[in-house]
Amino acid sequence: MSDLLGVWRERVRAAAAGNEPLRIVGGRSKDFYGQQLVGSIFSTSAYSGIQDYDPTELVITARCGTPLEKIEHALAERGQMLAFEPPHFGADATLGGCIAAGLSGPRRPHGGAVRDHMLGVRILDGRGDELSFGGRVMKNVAGFDVSRLIAGSLGTLGIILDASLKCMPLPRAETTLAFELAVDDALRRINEWSALPLPLSASCWFRDRLYVRLSGAASAVSAAQHHLGGEETENAPTFWRAIREQQHAFFQVACSAPLWRLSVRSTAPYADLGSEQMIEWGGALRWICAAPDDSAKRLRSWAKEYGGHATLFRSADKSAGAFHALSPPLLALHQRLKAALDPAGIFNRHRMYTEF
Amino acid sequence: MKTETKQDPVIVAELVTRLSGDFGERAVTTHAVREHHSHGEGLADAALPDVVVFPHSNEEVASIVRLCHLARVPVIAFGVGTSLEGHVAALYGGVCVDLSQMNRVLEVNAEDLDCRVQAGVTREQLNAELKGTGLFFPIDPGANATIGGMAATRASGTNAVRYGTMRENVLGLTVVTADGRIVKTGGRARKSSAGYDLTRLFVGAEGTLGVITEIQLRLYGVPEAIQSAVCQFPDLASAVNTVIIAMQTGISVARIELLDEVQMEASIRYSKLEGFAVKPTLFFEFHGSQAGVREQSAAMQAASDEFGGSAYQWATKTEDRTRLWKARHDAYYAALAFKPGMTSFATDACVPISRLADCILETKADVEKSGLTAPILGHVGDGNFHLVVLFDGADPAQRESAEALAKGVSMRAISMGGTCTGEHGIGWHKLDVLAQEHGEAVDLMRMIKRALDPRDIMNPGKTVPL
Repeated sequence: MSDLLGVWRERVRAAAAGNEPLRIVGGRSKDFYGQQLVGSIFSTSAYSGIQDYDPTELVITARCGTPLEKIEHALAERGQMLAFEPPHFGADATLGGCIAAGLSGPRRPHGGAVRDHMLGVRILDGRGDELSFGGRVMKNVAGFDVSRLIAGSLGTLGIILDASLKCMPLPRAETTLAFELAVDDALRRINEWSALPLPLSASCWFRDRLYVRLSGAASAVSAAQHHLGGEETENAPTFWRAIREQQHAFFQVACSAPLWRLSVRSTAPYADLGSEQMIEWGGALRWICAAPDDSAKRLRSWAKEYGGHATLFRSADKSAGAFHALSPPLLALHQRLKAALDPAGIFNRHRMYTEF
Repeated sequence: MKTETKQDPVIVAELVTRLSGDFGERAVTTHAVREHHSHGEGLADAALPDVVVFPHSNEEVASIVRLCHLARVPVIAFGVGTSLEGHVAALYGGVCVDLSQMNRVLEVNAEDLDCRVQAGVTREQLNAELKGTGLFFPIDPGANATIGGMAATRASGTNAVRYGTMRENVLGLTVVTADGRIVKTGGRARKSSAGYDLTRLFVGAEGTLGVITEIQLRLYGVPEAIQSAVCQFPDLASAVNTVIIAMQTGISVARIELLDEVQMEASIRYSKLEGFAVKPTLFFEFHGSQAGVREQSAAMQAASDEFGGSAYQWATKTEDRTRLWKARHDAYYAALAFKPGMTSFATDACVPISRLADCILETKADVEKSGLTAPILGHVGDGNFHLVVLFDGADPAQRESAEALAKGVSMRAISMGGTCTGEHGIGWHKLDVLAQEHGEAVDLMRMIKRALDPRDIMNPGKTVPL
């Protein structure tokens, strides 16, 4: 493996010297995500394997090319999980891609995001230098929090070599309740419930049905179930997997049009934005399918009004911009950070914004 | 302390005159005020700023920073001065920006479980203002620090096991950058904003990348039920092993705090705790539904029993609970009062949970060897613990062994795969151990510093000095 890293170092140095953009890929399950794919393919899949996993530590360290499935399997065998419930979007999804994309699944509002579980990371920067940040401890305030910066940076700041992630014990009990609720009522109820000490672990509203997952100690789950009422859902794990992986009918049928992901404050009232919506994360995440030409401006200004932003999540045409435009001072900070870690600008050029 | 890169006194004097013109009585140059702003808590290593300015708005902070940027004069943000590692010492003089008058809670969005505050709001003030909303803000470092200071140092406290640290609870920031521009990062949406996670970069940068002026914070519903408990152990190893088992089996605990027998003796005396023996002790708190806390607390009791824990005492009444946790929060002051007239500082090791027992026990042996008094207390659920090292500051030999003891703790934590600082930060006291811990990665941090603060005016000499 160290030989492989030696090859990578040279490859990166040569690319930097020759101003050759590199497109970092793992399992290519998230090629759809982001602005543009530019550069020669740089595959990380050969650098694979779990390096360290002692369940008693609640920390797993693995190489970037390790299949996400393998990691989750190893954790499940020992009664643990990644609490951010990452979407795979393909059988070959890797740990590196999961961190670079920074996408979290249904448990995110309750269990935290990818970055919240990043304890440490080792990267290969744009100079071909290996650098480690953070470590394997729960709290660390030694220096700048570069590990968190790397999560969700879409591979634009460096090649993630390996990472240490916090794991959580699997909940002892889990159940999913369904409620017949129109959207306004559903939003009101789920926001009220979020403020109560209920063991919520996911929520999803679609076509007048609100699904709420409860996870935790058996007594807490049954007390909450008693309190909330609703109807217990069968095949709940399959249901949540379908939501996470976007295999649910909403994503399959409705989405011949581009898919937008609106991240807003959870109490944002429902607005008719032109087509059907699915609402997750206690109201904070809204999915909608809409043609980009006429909808981009409308969706973005609506999301902004409610404290958030709109991402053009899946679309053949990204001319509206995959991500919400940055203000000039913020863009300047991005460009300076990019230049600090990747001076030649070779990593995943234009993957996030066309400006860098 | 380095002084050779101080700005030309003539330029500084011109800047002070300009600030006095702009801010009138809110730009102060008296020695007493400068002295007050020259240090935090922890070791006395005062370095005076040339002027202290008290801005009232983001725009005023930006105007100060712009002037400093042009004049290449240091800017040191100051809350209430409770940092522990020399974070606010004006090593190269300059302008101290005291944010304590920017102390308004700007909005509380009860339904969204968030709020926006100015940097000078203190954590106790925030919780007082949240009374009646059914919400609270859980991060509780020992001192009544400002939210701005807590964000800048990525503070945590006793509730971190359940609620995380400032890192997990800051949703967004308003920051004045090194060139005096006002930028907003993050937002009210739970998911971080588009682009890089700049919020996380400014949180914990100790004022070296920009001045944090507003903070969007996540709030939590006051739990339906809160139950505290205390358990005493025959020895330190049993107490620590109880913690390890609890964390590894996923007992849902909000707080789990260790006080060794020395600290207990100090706290019994200082906080007038009754009914406790001078023995290693764990303080627990459980948050949740009635059923949930009963179940979790019973599981904890079972774990304690396995390690010979005795006198597992419940405290469900609010006044008992308050007394208990007040004693825990006052532990640092109790330690100081234990040996009056002594100087002190606190270590801040954090290690993987499986190494916690080894680390604490080896550290305890070091303390005994050193001949010093150094109570141990800590947020052990995170693998984080402190030694309050007490020594006679006038005795160079004692000072030397105190520093050697502290260095030993940091190096041991690093060698066990941990960190020299779980929550207090680097400031300028821990610059050497940061280099040990991160090696070449510090160079990259330096590049980030240079990229965001090319003139090196933001709290220079701290965290990642250029």
